[in-house]
Amino acid sequence: MLIEVGHFALVLALVISVILIVVPSIGLYQNKTSLSQLAKPLVWAQGFWIAVAFFVLMSAFLTNDFSVKYVADNSNTQLPVLFKASAVWGAHEGSLLLWVFVLSIWSTAVSIFSKRIPSNLLNLILIVLGVVSFGFLLFLLYTSNPFERLIIPPLEGRELNPLLQDFGLAVHPPMLYMGYVGLAVPFAFVIAALIRGQLDSSWLRWTRPWALISWAFLTVGITLGSWWAYYELGWGGWWFWDPVENASFMPWLIATALIHSLSVSEKRGILRQWTVLLSIGGFSLSLLGTFLVRSGVLTSVHAFATDPARGLFILIFLFIVIGGSLAIYAWRYNLLQKSNPISLFSRETGLLINNILLVTAMLSVLLGTLYPLVLDTLNLGKISVGVPYFNAVFIPIMLPAVIVMAIVPFVRWKKDTFKRIVSHLRIQWLGIIVLILIARIFITDNIFVLVAIGLFIWMLVHVLVLLIARIRSKSVFSFAFIGMLVAHLGIAVFVLGATVTTQMGIEKDIKMSFGESQNIAGYDFVFNGVSRYQKDNYSGFMGNITVLKGVKEITTLTPEKRYYQSGMPMTEASINPSIARDLYVALGEELVEGSWSVRIYYKPLVRWIWLGGLMIAMGALFAAIDRRYFVRAKS
Amino acid sequence: MIFSWQIVLMIVLSITFLSWFLYRPIKESLSDDDSNIRINKQRQNELISDRSIGLIEEQYFKEAEGEIIDTLASELKSNESEKLEIKPMRWSLSIALLIAILSLSLYSQLAPKIVPSSFSQSTDSLSMTESLDALKEYLIDNPEDFSAWKMLGMTQVAIGDLDDSINSFENAFKINPDDIDLLLQYSSAIAAKQAGEFLGRPQELIKKALTLDPQSIQVLYFAGIVAAHQSDFDVAKEFWEKALYLMPDSHPDRSIIEEAVETILNLQVK
Repeated sequence: MLIEVGHFALVLALVISVILIVVPSIGLYQNKTSLSQLAKPLVWAQGFWIAVAFFVLMSAFLTNDFSVKYVADNSNTQLPVLFKASAVWGAHEGSLLLWVFVLSIWSTAVSIFSKRIPSNLLNLILIVLGVVSFGFLLFLLYTSNPFERLIIPPLEGRELNPLLQDFGLAVHPPMLYMGYVGLAVPFAFVIAALIRGQLDSSWLRWTRPWALISWAFLTVGITLGSWWAYYELGWGGWWFWDPVENASFMPWLIATALIHSLSVSEKRGILRQWTVLLSIGGFSLSLLGTFLVRSGVLTSVHAFATDPARGLFILIFLFIVIGGSLAIYAWRYNLLQKSNPISLFSRETGLLINNILLVTAMLSVLLGTLYPLVLDTLNLGKISVGVPYFNAVFIPIMLPAVIVMAIVPFVRWKKDTFKRIVSHLRIQWLGIIVLILIARIFITDNIFVLVAIGLFIWMLVHVLVLLIARIRSKSVFSFAFIGMLVAHLGIAVFVLGATVTTQMGIEKDIKMSFGESQNIAGYDFVFNGVSRYQKDNYSGFMGNITVLKGVKEITTLTPEKRYYQSGMPMTEASINPSIARDLYVALGEELVEGSWSVRIYYKPLVRWIWLGGLMIAMGALFAAIDRRYFVRAKS
Repeated sequence: MIFSWQIVLMIVLSITFLSWFLYRPIKESLSDDDSNIRINKQRQNELISDRSIGLIEEQYFKEAEGEIIDTLASELKSNESEKLEIKPMRWSLSIALLIAILSLSLYSQLAPKIVPSSFSQSTDSLSMTESLDALKEYLIDNPEDFSAWKMLGMTQVAIGDLDDSINSFENAFKINPDDIDLLLQYSSAIAAKQAGEFLGRPQELIKKALTLDPQSIQVLYFAGIVAAHQSDFDVAKEFWEKALYLMPDSHPDRSIIEEAVETILNLQVK
């Protein structure tokens, strides 16, 4: 009966979302406070029932209730407890339930932590979130019910995709969804403000912390996904420009533009039209991502839904959201026209240029992601848009964006001159050129690496210069300021890590026999053979490779080749990590008696990629807890 | 439809919770004007702070300060309209009715469907819970209807009510112990109750089914499961291979049995 409770809880949540849309709206329209103020309790009630449904499904996994089709299809008795719990979002129906659950968490958080937002605005925000929630609950219940029963339950369930039986994948989807779905909050703020016709200071100020938090989660989610792909897929790569990766990266680019655009709108009351469009664009892209992953139009490790009915539902929902939002935008366009003048060289212009570059970068990724799909859909042939396209188009757009990012913090609001900036920073720039020359002589002559080193040093210098300036002026260090520094430094750390590992990494795909040794980047990899083993839900082969530097033993690496119940082989790389480099070994196939194909990678600074990601997220969280968002409610 | 106490409790809880807030509404936090005044004051302070660290020149500071004042002036509203009271009882009842009717009708529509058997007069498909009620009522007047007892047992399995389903299957078994489908359903229900264990009564029932129809694909599949549970992999493989031989290539269950054979082969290899 517990399963039916979970199912009915979802039905109740859907009904409550209908009441959330109708009753507080009547209250707002007729000026009846008791009704409009019901929005919060309705959000709580809806959140509660969605949580009940979520945990009922989780308990079905933990107790091996194979009478539930979704459980039988994605879990079995041998699966470790952690993966039983994470199997809840291991396939389509459950991950949709997670989507709805995360949305209810965001809605509840907005209702609780928004005491400083005017009540009427807050209630309308909750109603808009209720509309989004209604759409997804309807989708869940009518096309993707996770509580479907089997008339004859099997004795043993099937298997969770072995790729997903990993800690990284247990935490990556919830984090990514927190970011993805979190973009519904800035969207709701904008739509509520547009409907009210009050695009005032309140919505601008209170949208930013929510945008920052969702951006931080999105960053962590993408970073975790990249880390997982690196160690789990056995190719040593950290980003593949996979369409589903792109689906999460596009909202990230727009959200990055949004938080900067919001800072200009919030401070100077300008770029409101742009901010509104970015908020709508960010959420629309997260819906587009959901469509790409759920509709089955993509083939990828992420794409587990192949039901056209589901795809059609999301597509219709996507059109309603985008079309409806743009219609509301057009309706209120006259309210957005008032703006203060911007001079050509100012902080505002710098941030706007950065915004334009980010949006252009997003459009280049969108084109590379959708173009092959459109051609395929129209039967105009199959083409593959891969890494060369993205590297050729994306990097030249992002390079100036990073340079602008490093200069804008020194530029003044309203109006400034290039001459002043140059005279202010010329010594630092000269110092950086000297350091690049030193790096050219002692480290590498690779131009990409030298540019990355230059950028990194420049960002480091920019952080130090700004810090010293603040200390000298004896002004208060706000969390927003610290957050900006940490996030910008994170970008530099990421850029350096990504460039160095891509340009200077070494990869060898070789045959190794017992006792054989290979020298890579000054390390000797000695092959000690392979042994068989058996675990609860898989069996496999484990290699043994000793790594030496000169005569000193550095580590012993044990790459694995696993075979799960489904027979699917899985490569488990063995990694010796450090901040300066990773030594990475993956076991291939057995070739002839005693010899195996082995992939060995030397990955300099690869950890900096994820360190940079975490720093960016941390910076965003710092900025979100800035003092100005916690001032007393009484005016 | 089943009005189980859990579902009724969930509806009552929701209604009570929301009604509470209709009688004692949450106080409004801030008005738009209060919020805008405060935020623009903050903006003014931030501007002063920006000036002190050289992020804005003095001549533009005045201009920016003027813009903040202009913004505030345009945002302030002349007066707030009067708030109207509601009658909480009327709204509580409306919400209660809305929740009860909408949730139950939606659930009855979304609950898993089964096709009604010959005892039903209706030609429309019913929801599982509706079928259950109808079946129980029907069986009070027709306790000897084998199909009705079997259908009741299957419906109870579908909603997870294993104890009652076993009783219903037992009643059907007393009427007709030679129905192969019943024997398989009955054994599955008992096995599910025994945490997936087919030993004992389920094994006996499947053995009986195998005697009655040794060529039935379903029976062979279940016989294989029983053998596999006793670690008799060769026998299990034999049953499943026979089932595969008997079923056409397009049979929807073919892949399930093939997978089972593959699992056995893997286990034997290990």
